[in-house]
Amino acid sequence: MVNDAGQLYTMEGVAAGLIMLLTAYIVISTTSIYTTGDTHIPDMQLEQLGSDVLAMMDTPDGDGDGRSRLTELIGAGKGEMLRNEFLANCNMRTEDPDDNLQAQVFLSYRRTDGSVNTTPLSSPSDPGFTGRENTVRVTRWVQLTGKPSGILDIRNNTGPYAVLVEVLLWRA
Amino acid sequence: MARMNEEGQWIVLMGLLVAVALFFLALIVNQSALVGQTTAEGVLEFPKNDIRDLRSAVFDYIDRYEVLQTHGHLGDVKTDIVEISLERKNAVVNFTVGEKRDVSGRQLHPVTIHYNNGVTEYDETVYY
Repeated sequence: MVNDAGQLYTMEGVAAGLIMLLTAYIVISTTSIYTTGDTHIPDMQLEQLGSDVLAMMDTPDGDGDGRSRLTELIGAGKGEMLRNEFLANCNMRTEDPDDNLQAQVFLSYRRTDGSVNTTPLSSPSDPGFTGRENTVRVTRWVQLTGKPSGILDIRNNTGPYAVLVEVLLWRA
Repeated sequence: MARMNEEGQWIVLMGLLVAVALFFLALIVNQSALVGQTTAEGVLEFPKNDIRDLRSAVFDYIDRYEVLQTHGHLGDVKTDIVEISLERKNAVVNFTVGEKRDVSGRQLHPVTIHYNNGVTEYDETVYY
């Protein structure tokens, strides 16, 4: 009594089953990609924010030969003050409570023997800094006419320098 | 068994169409996640801020070109920029600044800037 009149329905059932399986597979693999993609986007935003703040602080307040706030603070060796002003600019938000970003400032310069040295200008603003934070680094070139105070082994005693201000920025 | 009724075929057909539509929608969602990741990675990898910062450092240098030249410090400051770039940014950087020349009635320095960090190479010739 075997009858093949229902073959068409069987084929349809198999096709539908295959489509459903493929759909489920794609949906499940989608969620696993999301997590890796997500980690890069906040890094990108943080880096852009830090670069913008440094660029703003490196803009002179007045026309003419005015020095920028960044140049002033580096020249005076006031790393802690630089860090605090940088963070104040980073954490500012319209209407909302302040953001919770943390930073540490470094300075790279050339020594007398030609080697490049990097020294911390400030301590980390977060006392619980472990060194394992997911940080981004933003930098800005600064040109100084005189010797920056607090940097003893910079190449020669007078004369202009180009130094690199580096800020580590992370979300606590 | 013997009398099969085929009146409901369009319902089955609609079911098939909906399944195919869902399949393509899932495909789009899948690709959009990948696009978000590669875009963010591409932006992070491209040294936009490094290049802009280097340009502004070179232009700062040219702003004080005459003073630096008088005191013989041109080479020192340039070496600072080149060596710190290599050490801290893993980037080969070079720039040249020529003497001022007449460009459409204005006296400007011809400047070339070169930047290469192994992934991105950037060359610029500009009058400043």
